[in-house]
Amino acid sequence: MDNLLTIAVLFPLAAAFFAFLFPAKKPGAIRALAILATGVSLLLTLYIFSQFDRTQSGYQFVFGIEWLPSWGCSLKFGVDGISMTLLLLVGVVSFCGTLVSHEIHDREKEYYILFLALTTGISGTFATMDLFFFYFFYEMAVIPMYLLIGMWGSLPAGKHGRTKEYATMKLTLYLTAGAVLALIGLLAIYFVGGTMDIEKLQHNVWIAANTQKWAFACLLFGFGFLASMWPFHTWSPLGYAAAPTAASMMHAGVLKKLGAYGIIRLALPLLPEGARHWANVIAILACFNILYAGWAALTQRDWKFVIGYSSVSHMGYVLLGIATLNVIGVSGAVLLMFAHGVMAALTFSLIGFFYHQTHNRFVPDLSGLARKIPFIGVCMVMAVMASSGLPGFANFVSEVMVFIGAWSQGSLLFRIATICAVWGIVVTATYLLWAVRTSFFGPFDEKWNMLKDATTLKQKFPYVLLLAVLLTVGFYPRVLTDIIRSSVASQIVEKQNMRGQETVAQRSGE
Amino acid sequence: MSFYAIQLDALLAVWGVIILLVDAFRPFRNKKTLGYLVAIFVLVAFAYSFLVQPVSDTFFHGMYRLDTFALYFKRLFLGALTIVLVMSAEFSDRIEAGVAEFYALLLFCATGMLILASVNDFILLFVALELVTITFYILASYLRRQVQSLEAGTKYLILGALSSGFTVYGIAYIFGTTGTTNFDTLGALLSNYVTQPKAFTFGVLLVLTGLGFKIAMVPFQIWAPDVYQGAPTPVTAFLAVGSKAAGFALVLRVLFTGLLPAHAVWGPLLVVLAAATLLYGNLGAIPQRNIKRLLGYSSIGHAGYMLMGIAAMNALGVGAVLFYLGQYALTNLCAFLAIVAVTNATGSDEIPSLAGLGRRSPIVGLALFLAMMSLAGVPPLSGFFGKFQLFAAVIERARYDWHYYVLAGIGAAAVVISLYFYLGVGRAIYLQESDDASPIPVSLPMRCALYLCMAGMIGLGIYQRPLVEAAIQAAKTFALR
Repeated sequence: MDNLLTIAVLFPLAAAFFAFLFPAKKPGAIRALAILATGVSLLLTLYIFSQFDRTQSGYQFVFGIEWLPSWGCSLKFGVDGISMTLLLLVGVVSFCGTLVSHEIHDREKEYYILFLALTTGISGTFATMDLFFFYFFYEMAVIPMYLLIGMWGSLPAGKHGRTKEYATMKLTLYLTAGAVLALIGLLAIYFVGGTMDIEKLQHNVWIAANTQKWAFACLLFGFGFLASMWPFHTWSPLGYAAAPTAASMMHAGVLKKLGAYGIIRLALPLLPEGARHWANVIAILACFNILYAGWAALTQRDWKFVIGYSSVSHMGYVLLGIATLNVIGVSGAVLLMFAHGVMAALTFSLIGFFYHQTHNRFVPDLSGLARKIPFIGVCMVMAVMASSGLPGFANFVSEVMVFIGAWSQGSLLFRIATICAVWGIVVTATYLLWAVRTSFFGPFDEKWNMLKDATTLKQKFPYVLLLAVLLTVGFYPRVLTDIIRSSVASQIVEKQNMRGQETVAQRSGE
Repeated sequence: MSFYAIQLDALLAVWGVIILLVDAFRPFRNKKTLGYLVAIFVLVAFAYSFLVQPVSDTFFHGMYRLDTFALYFKRLFLGALTIVLVMSAEFSDRIEAGVAEFYALLLFCATGMLILASVNDFILLFVALELVTITFYILASYLRRQVQSLEAGTKYLILGALSSGFTVYGIAYIFGTTGTTNFDTLGALLSNYVTQPKAFTFGVLLVLTGLGFKIAMVPFQIWAPDVYQGAPTPVTAFLAVGSKAAGFALVLRVLFTGLLPAHAVWGPLLVVLAAATLLYGNLGAIPQRNIKRLLGYSSIGHAGYMLMGIAAMNALGVGAVLFYLGQYALTNLCAFLAIVAVTNATGSDEIPSLAGLGRRSPIVGLALFLAMMSLAGVPPLSGFFGKFQLFAAVIERARYDWHYYVLAGIGAAAVVISLYFYLGVGRAIYLQESDDASPIPVSLPMRCALYLCMAGMIGLGIYQRPLVEAAIQAAKTFALR
C-alpha cells in the first residue's frame, strides 16, 4: 500500500517507455495508452486522497529506496496536505490534457511520449521528499515543454512579431536560468544540512541567518522565474500563446505552480529567517504582478495572450499569499494554486476547442460564437466567472483567504497590497468580460457558420470534469482547506514562530 | 609483476603492430570488416580490464602506477576506443588509402593514453604525451585531399609542438630546482618547503601550459575549433573523448600528487582560467553553423566545467571530474556517431543539413538530440548529474572562500548560454523541415553503438550509482578532503 504514491507518480513515465516501443504507425493505440496512463494515475491519486489521514499534518504514504548513499540521497516519495492538493491538480489536468489532444495528427507517438514525461516531471516534483530528486524532476519538465511547443505549437503573427521557435526558446532559457540560480541555493542548504532528505532538513537543521538571507534570495528568484514573478514573467504569455492546447493547459495549470511550490516547500520552512527578511519584497513584486500583468491583459487582443497575462496576474495573488507567512494567507495561496490551475486548464482547453476550427483566436474577429457553440460558450462564461473570483467557485474561496491573510498581517505595506489586490479583481473582470462578450455574444458572423459544438459526452467530458472540480471545491472548500491548513500550520508557520522565539532567546542569552 | 602492470597497454601496441605487419604482406580487402574486427578485439580487452586488479606498488623505478585512478582511465579509454573504431569502420569509405594504418594509429594513440593514465614521473609523462600527440598529427590530416583536414593537421602540429616545448622546458625547471622528476619524491620534497623558489613556480606554469593545450583550456584553446572541424570525424571524436580525458588524467595526477603542496600557486590561477574557459567556449559556440566546429567550442566549454571541479580542490571535485569524463565520453561518442551517419548520407556536416533529421531517421535524430541535451546538462541524462556534482564541489569549497560563489555563478550562466546553442541543434532536428525526406540508412553495428550510448546516457542519468562509486574509489588515490 505504501508504494501506491510511487506508482501514481511513475506510471506515466513507464507508459512513455512502452509508447516508445510501439510502432509509430499506430497512433490510436499510443493515444489510448496515454489516456489509460493518466487515467490510472488520476484514479490512484484520488484513492490516496480518500485514504489520506486528515488528522495528521506530516508526510503520509512515504516510500523510499536508497539511491546514492554517498550523497545521502534516496528516491523517496510522500505527501502532506500541500502536495496532496497539487497532485490532485496534476492528475486532473494531465488526464483532461490527454483527452483534448485528439487534435494532434502529426507525430503522435513523440507527442504522447513527451506529454507523459512532462506529467511525471511535474508530479514527481510535487511528490518527492528528496532535495536532489526535487531538482531532478523540476528540470526534467522543461525540455519536453520545449519540444511540445516547438513541434506542435502555433503562434499567429501579431504585434509581438515573434515566432513559436522564439517563444519556446525564450521559455526554456528563462526556466533554466531560474533553475540553476535555485540550484546554487539548494546546494548551499545541502552542505549545511548534510542530507538530501527534505523532512530531516526541516526538523533537524538550523541554518545561520546570513546564509538564510542570500540562499532565500536564490530560491525566491530562481523559483520566481517559473512562478512568473514580475519582472521575470515575460516568457510566460508568449509561451502559452505558442503552445498546443494540452501543453498550455499543463503549463498554465500545473508547471507554473512548481515555482510557487518550490518556495512554499523549500524556501519557507528551511529558511524562515530569510523568509521574514524578504517578505516585504515578495509583497511588492506580487502587487506588480497583479496590476502590471492585469493592465497588460487589458490591451491584448489574442485570446491566449489575454489568458496568459491574466495567469501572470493571478500568480501575483499566490505570491502575496506566500508573503503573508501566516496560516490563512499561505493556505490561501496553495488553494489558489489548485483553483487557478483547474481554471486555467479549462480556459485553455476551451480556446483550443474553437481555435482548432476557426484557426483564429483574435477576439475582435470572433463574434456571436455562442450561437453555434452554446456548450463551449456556457463553459467559457463559467470559467471567466471563476477567474474573476465569483462566489461558488474555488477561486473565490482562495482569493478571500489570501486577502484576509494579507490584511491581518497587519503592516501598512500589506494593507496597501491588499487594496491593490482587490482592485486587481476589478481589472480581471474587465478584460475577461470584454473578451467573452465580444467573441461569444454580439451579432453573429456568418463566416463562423461551420463551427461544430461539443455534442457527445466524450467531447464534453473533460470540460465538465474541470468545471465540476471548480464547483465542488467552491461549495465545499473544507475538502482541501483542512488538510492544507494543518500542513501549512505545522511546517511553515510554527517554524516561523519557533525560530522567532529561538532568536529572541539567543539574543537574551547573549 | 611489471608485465602485469602494463599488460593492457602492451596488448594494444602489439595488436597495432600485428595489423601493420599483416597488412604489409597480405592487404585486407574489406576495410570495414577489419574495423569491426579490431573493435571487437578492443571490446574484449575492455571487458578483460575489469579483471585487472589495482596494485599499490609502483613499477619501473617509481615511474608507473597501477592504482584505481589509472585503471578507471584505462577502462575509459578502452571503452571509448571501441566505439571510435566502430565509427571509423563506418567512416572508412571516405579514407582513400591506408585504412589499416588508420586503425593501427588509433591503437598506438590509445596505447599512449593508457600509459598516460599511469604515469608517476615527468619523463614518462613526456614520452607518453608525445606518443599521443604525434599520432594525432597524422590522424588529423588523414583526408589528405581535403584542405581543411590538412589545415587541421598542420595547426595541431605547430601548436602541439610549441606546447610540448613548453612542457619540457617546465619539466627542466622543476627538475633543476628540486632535483627530481618523480611525483612522489617531488610531493614529499615540496611539503618541506615553506615557499617555493621562483624558478620552480615558473616551471609549474610552463607545465600547466602544455597540459592546458591538451585539455583546450583558455588561453591555449585556439586550435580546438579548427582541428575539430577539419579532422576526420572519428579522429575528432577520439580527440574530444580520449585526448581530453588523458589531459585531465594528467592534470589531476600532476596537480594532486606532485604539485599539491604548491597549490597556492596554481589554485587561484585555475579559478580564473576555469571562468575564462567557460565563457569563451560557450559564447564562441553561439554563432557556429558547423556541427563539428560547434562541438569544438563546446569541448572548450566542458573543459571549463571540469576545471571548476579541479579548482575546487576537494575530493568531491575530483570525483565529479572523473564521473564527468566518463559520461562525457558516452555523450560525445553518441553525438559523433550520429554525425557520421548524417555525413555519410548527406555529405555535409553543417547544422542546416540536419533539418528534418527527426523524420528522416528517428533513431539518429533522437541520439543526436539526447547527446545535445546531455551536453547541456538536462535530466534525466548523465550530463545533468555530472554538472550537478561539479557545482556541488564548487559550492562546498565556496563555504570557505567566497570567490568560488562567483565561479559557480559564471558556471550557471554558462549552462544557460550552452542550452541556447545545443537547442539550436535540437531545433534543426525536430522543429525544422527539409525538402529532402529520404530516409538515412543506419547499419547494424552503428545502430548497436547508438543504442548503447543512449542507454548509457539515460541509465547513468537515472541510476548514477555505479559510475559515482567507481569515480569516488578512483578519487581516493589523492589525499584530499
